[in-house]
Parts: sequence; C-alpha cells; structure tokens
Amino acid sequence: MPTQEVPFTKPVEDSVPKVDNAIAVGEDLDFQRRWWKFERVIWSFFLLILLCDALGLFGRGWLAKAHARTPDGALDLKYERIERASTPSIMTIKLGPSAIQNGQAHLFLSDDVIRPMGAQRIAPQPATSVIGNGGITYTFPATAPPATITIALEPSFVGAHHFHLGIPGSEPIHATVVVVP
Amino acid sequence: MAIATILRAIFGYVFLILMVRIVGRRPGKQITPFEFVLIFYLGGLTLTGMVGQEVSFSNAACQILTIACTHYGIAIARQKSPRLARVLDGTPLTLLEGKQWRANTMSRMRIADDDVMAMARDQGVRTLDKIDTAVLERNGEISIIPAESEED
Repeated sequence: MPTQEVPFTKPVEDSVPKVDNAIAVGEDLDFQRRWWKFERVIWSFFLLILLCDALGLFGRGWLAKAHARTPDGALDLKYERIERASTPSIMTIKLGPSAIQNGQAHLFLSDDVIRPMGAQRIAPQPATSVIGNGGITYTFPATAPPATITIALEPSFVGAHHFHLGIPGSEPIHATVVVVP
Repeated sequence: MAIATILRAIFGYVFLILMVRIVGRRPGKQITPFEFVLIFYLGGLTLTGMVGQEVSFSNAACQILTIACTHYGIAIARQKSPRLARVLDGTPLTLLEGKQWRANTMSRMRIADDDVMAMARDQGVRTLDKIDTAVLERNGEISIIPAESEED
C-alpha cells in the first residue's frame, strides 16, 4: 500500500532549466510573448465591452430604450427592451383618445409583466383589477388625454420574456424584453 | 436560486483572478496605495454582484465554502499542470543580463531602469553596472544578482 506515497525526501534536480550554469530563472519567453498578445486582445475586448455598456447594450442606455404603439393610436408604450436583473426601471403607457370611454380606461397586462418582469407598482392605483385570460385587466377612472400609466418594474428572472398589453377588444402590443444578469 | 449564488461566487472568483492577473504585477516589494485601491475596489465591486440582495447567513456561508473549494481545486490543478501554473502566475522575466537591458520586456512590463536601480539599492548594490542579472519575479518583485567583483 505505501508504494504510492510521496517520498519524504528526494535529491534536488534541475527542474528549473539551467543554461551554462547561469542563474536558474526558468524564464519562458515564448509563453510571455503569447501572453502579451493575449493582453493586447483582452484590453481591446474590455474597451469594446465598455463601449457596448455605454451605448446600452446591457441595459439602461440608448440601445435599450424601445417605443411601440398600437396602429389606432390608443396606446403608446415606452419600455426598455434590455433590462438588468434586480434593477428598477419604469414602463410608461400613454393613452390615446380612443382608449378612454365613458370616463374609464381599461388596460390588459399579460402575466409576464407581473412575474418575470417583476411589476412592483402601477400608478395610478386602478379602480378595479380583474384576473383572467393569462393576465390582469385594470380599470382606471379617466377624463381626457393626455393620460399616462406608469409601471415600476424590477425583473428578477434572467432571459427573454415576451409580453403583450392592450385595450380589451383591440389590437394589443407584443414586445420582448431581455433581462441580463 | 441557491445554485445561481454558487455559480455567481465561482464566476466572481475566477473573474477576479483573471483581472488581477492582467492588471497586476508591478515592480516593488510593498503594495503601494495604488494597488491597495485597486484590490479593495475590485473586491468591493465584485461583492455587490455576487451577493446581490441575498444577505442571509446561509448564502454567505455557502459562498465562502464555494470559494474555499474553488481555491483548493485551482491550487491542486496548478500543482499538477505547469501550463496552468504559467497562466495563473506568469513566468519570471529577465530584465537585465550581461550588461544588456531586455528593452522589449522592460517596455512591455512598464518597468523603468529606475525601478531596477531602486531594488538594487535595496540589496546594497551601488550602481547599475554592478548588477549581473535582474529578474522580474512572478510576484512582482525584482531580484538583483550582483556581479562578482573583479578583485576576487
């Protein structure tokens, strides 16, 4: 059994290469040259990542902002197509004239907005909220446009989430939000 | 999810090793305030992403255990594989040999002759021409081997 054991002592050998009895440095210039090449590439890569971040490719920037509206102009949605996990953001919905009828506005939000995208609050407070059809239909007392509903989001699930929202009985807005870690 | 926090901890650790490896290794025996800021700031920033909103003791303990195991694993792998050791630690680099500067190495490692002379003084060598060999070690120190004096 003890044959596999590491011996307690062994003679010192030239495991660090020596040349002409010079100082044993063990320098590996080939490796170092490759490492310098790698460093040059990685610094460019770092700059590229920072540039993408500044432009909003990882959320909270110019590339992340998105805008959608229904063909009839009833809804106008501003959201961020790239969200960051556990980071608050705001989704804004502007109601057009055709969205307000008899002093009321109805808005359907699919469940994806509530759970994967982490809707925290909806302002103003809706008068009623009715669940069904894979989402929630809110009713807001309303007078005349401009009228705005804001939803505070704080996504906790990383990945792509499809959602739709609209006024019941008319064409909804379909959109996709990517939540990055 | 618990598995996500473990993966985050491993990612944070490996990422920091890479960053310190790329940014690090400057000459000098002590850590200067410059390096202090770098290390603490990088550490603090990594922490926010690794811990997130999970401030429970379970999370902290499991992440610490994760780092311990990762560190142990990497240490073993490093001992077994000379290639990995080279990637993690780098290789010693000769800066001065036989009265010749290795100019390319010096400029790429951003080391000036002043830095070499500072370490030479530290080891009691009076002038640059009394240096036989100067080596930038893997931990950022510069080793100076004095030339054997001509009277001997």
